Amino acid sequence: MKVYMLKRILFSIFSLAVVVMIVMLLVYSLIDRKVIFQTDDIWNKKFLNDRTAYEYSQYEKFGYMTTTNYGAYLKDIYKDVEDYENDARYKEDKNAVKKKFTFLESDGISAFIDKYGYLQMDKFDSFLFNYYTEKKTKRVNEINKRIKEIENTKEPASEDEKRRLGNELAALKAELPVLQKQLDERNYDSDSQYVKDHELIKEVDVFLENESVRGFVEKYTAQGYKISYLEPVKYSNGKDKPGGSGQLYAIKERFVLWRLWDYVKGLITVETTNDVNDPNLTDRYIRFENDPNGWFAVVGSGTQHKYLLYFDDRFPFIHQNFIHLNLGVSHTRYRGEEITNVITTPQGSMKNKNIIAANGEIINTSINVHSVKYSQTAEVGEELKNMFADNYTSYQYNFDGLSRIENSFVCGIISTILAYLLGLPLGILMARQKEKFIDHLGNVYIIFIMAVPSLAYIFMFAVIGTTVFKLPYSFANSTRTIFGTQTKLLGYFLPIISLTLPSIGGLMKWMRRYMIDQMNSDYVKFARSQGLSEGEIYRTHISRNAMIYIVHGIPGAILGSLTGAIITERVYGLPGVGNLLTEAINRHDNAIIVACTVFYTTLSIISLILGDLLLAKYDPRISLSSSKGGGR
Amino acid sequence: MNENEKDVKIENEDDLFVPISQDMIQSEKIIAPRYSYWKSVFRIFFKKKINIFLIALFVLIFLIAFIGPIFAPYVYEENVNLLAAQHLSPSKALAFFKDKPELGPSIKWILGTGHIGNSIFYGIISSARTSLLLSTICAAINMVIGILLGAVWGYSKKFDAVMLVIYNIIANVPYLLLIMVLVYVIGSGFWSFVFALTVTGWLGIAYFFRTQVMIIRDREYSLASRCLGTPIPRVIGKNILPFLTSVIVTILATELPSYISFEVYLSYLGAGLSASIPSIGRMISQAQTGFTQYPWEFWPPVLVAAAITIILYLLGQNLADASDPRTHM
Repeated sequence: MKVYMLKRILFSIFSLAVVVMIVMLLVYSLIDRKVIFQTDDIWNKKFLNDRTAYEYSQYEKFGYMTTTNYGAYLKDIYKDVEDYENDARYKEDKNAVKKKFTFLESDGISAFIDKYGYLQMDKFDSFLFNYYTEKKTKRVNEINKRIKEIENTKEPASEDEKRRLGNELAALKAELPVLQKQLDERNYDSDSQYVKDHELIKEVDVFLENESVRGFVEKYTAQGYKISYLEPVKYSNGKDKPGGSGQLYAIKERFVLWRLWDYVKGLITVETTNDVNDPNLTDRYIRFENDPNGWFAVVGSGTQHKYLLYFDDRFPFIHQNFIHLNLGVSHTRYRGEEITNVITTPQGSMKNKNIIAANGEIINTSINVHSVKYSQTAEVGEELKNMFADNYTSYQYNFDGLSRIENSFVCGIISTILAYLLGLPLGILMARQKEKFIDHLGNVYIIFIMAVPSLAYIFMFAVIGTTVFKLPYSFANSTRTIFGTQTKLLGYFLPIISLTLPSIGGLMKWMRRYMIDQMNSDYVKFARSQGLSEGEIYRTHISRNAMIYIVHGIPGAILGSLTGAIITERVYGLPGVGNLLTEAINRHDNAIIVACTVFYTTLSIISLILGDLLLAKYDPRISLSSSKGGGR
Repeated sequence: MNENEKDVKIENEDDLFVPISQDMIQSEKIIAPRYSYWKSVFRIFFKKKINIFLIALFVLIFLIAFIGPIFAPYVYEENVNLLAAQHLSPSKALAFFKDKPELGPSIKWILGTGHIGNSIFYGIISSARTSLLLSTICAAINMVIGILLGAVWGYSKKFDAVMLVIYNIIANVPYLLLIMVLVYVIGSGFWSFVFALTVTGWLGIAYFFRTQVMIIRDREYSLASRCLGTPIPRVIGKNILPFLTSVIVTILATELPSYISFEVYLSYLGAGLSASIPSIGRMISQAQTGFTQYPWEFWPPVLVAAAITIILYLLGQNLADASDPRTHM
């Protein structure tokens, strides 16, 4: 059993990794990466080289590639020089890439640099010769094809057309022998572009003459980067066009396995007393302390958060900051926010509370004292000075609403419980009343739920709920005063109902089916012959056996409510986690897509394992490990 | 007549009871009515009058959906410049288009107009065609691959070991996530949509079918066949698949309508078919924002989708019941 579980968990981790890799491959490799700029206003406001530079920085954020630029490299070199910004040498180095170099305008040279980089100039002659041979051969074929096409054309429609075709034919026929001669003699010196390319390549040497530029190119070429020089684009008077100043970048594509490894490596972090990098902080510890705003707390110094374990009045009342899950950072949907925070941060409006400050004063404030993080220099406004005794001053606020995942979970768990409480007895009732009125009525309901698109009946529930029962339709407008307090409680009613009713249908269907299957078993006939009452047979014999099949899905139903309900949340505007994935896909937020994959897949794996364990616990005949015959 | 009969002597001709001849060969034969499986299936199926009604209804919808667009061509953006034609209720639309016969016959406006003056009625006809095509094609592909692979998967133990690993990995990818990412990656044309729905859609069917095949593979009569040296394809084809006809029909009954619902679902999430293809999902998702204000835009496509799915589901269930040999008594 233990070996089986170990194997299974290892396989689960393996399959999780494979799944995440598949999704990363799909998202990062198959989709044209330019789509991330479709809805980007900043991108629209940038031009020429600035736009390319912005694209590089975004690609790096999204995890496509790693980039460095020349400016950062220069700063690194000159960091020991006092006031380097005004240093003449620094200025000269900095402007080295802003001079007018135009070598990339030539196709031959850009193709060469794409292939060999900046440093292998000895290969240039042979490369250029081959490049032009290929180009000219292609052109010859093209011309031959076009000539044939024109000659085969039937009588042209108009005189103009005829003249145009005649001119084209003459031009082509004049071009052909020149090309042919060049190719035959293997000498392209008569091609002005070829000669010009040879002139232009010298510019590369001039470009690399600057020591810093050369250093940059050599350093990053050696590390496997590709050097991307964005040539200055100038007006004829020599001034840069907007966004057209020259820039130098080194870029390296990220390989999917490394991306996966980096992701997995950073997935879980544990806070230690060495987290804070501040030489002035000498007193580092983790200890129990009496917490004036709670009960007691585990307090750290040198850790990122001050309160590592604490109690407060918010569900689930005990909170921890030891272990953090880093699912990545959202880029477009929630600009720059950590996805874990997006999911777990409470929403709603700020809530004021009386708290006891560090100096013993009672303050009415919306600041969450337990959320404080270390800041290097404690900068706090005057009125809050007495609240914090140490450098842990970077705080967050208290909100009165639930977080996204709590919203989803509350709705999900209540509807799951309701569905099991109602669906199972109804299924049993249908089986007992087989082929009678209640059974037929139940079947109509089941068919309705099974066959009608879920979107349709959710809207139907919404219409009935709002018109007949006067329940609030949208969650945002559901604030009502109940027993003197403002609450959004009513807003949860319709989502929960919309989640419960369909699951009841599914449970009824399966419970009825399994009950009927069991009803003809021999043990039922035997129990009946022993004189047990029908109620007893149904209660203690049939339904227990039928439950075996139901039990397996329970962990999945409970954990599944953490993933939220996509349509329900969208229809009622409930801020939950269900819409995270669809929003991310619509906004091209790769990080959220990967995070959702990790989250959903982990939950589904855990619920499968828990389901199997529960099944084995409920029905002792079932053995999970494949060794037959018991014993071991 | 044969020799045995002649041997019997009649001793007393006046006797009331005449001993009949004993036919040794005939007595070896078991007399039973001729049984044809499919005939019995359809006999049971058509015994229920509701099935005839459902088939008639389905044929009607099918004909309207496939022949209708010839006579009622749906052009989504035809009235895009006619601002006054937007969101017209059926009665208003009929009045509005009464003096504009060049824009179409009055039946075109019988269900009102949508958000850019598009005809709801023609839209539904064209959308129903898309939905029916999509569900038939996807169900056909998934069923054929799923059943063939499932049969081999259930029968061959070596194949089983390999496929289980693949299944355990791919089954962990949330289906919705996979489809949305695929649609996001390969685009939302009709055929790429079909690809997204079928690329792993067969896996669930194959897995379900594998379990069914395994149960029957180990039955005594299959074992006997194998002992007698019947080749595996013949065992699968003759011993196992006929037994699973009702299972196949049951899968079909749930598969066919599910794609229609799924298309609606995906369109609502913004991952549906592209805008140029008329589809029920798109109509519903476009109308859902104003479903209390303009109910004539929302409910007709919903009702059509519901009608098609319910008919397909009921027909499938009843056919599955009829194809179970135990009901043929």
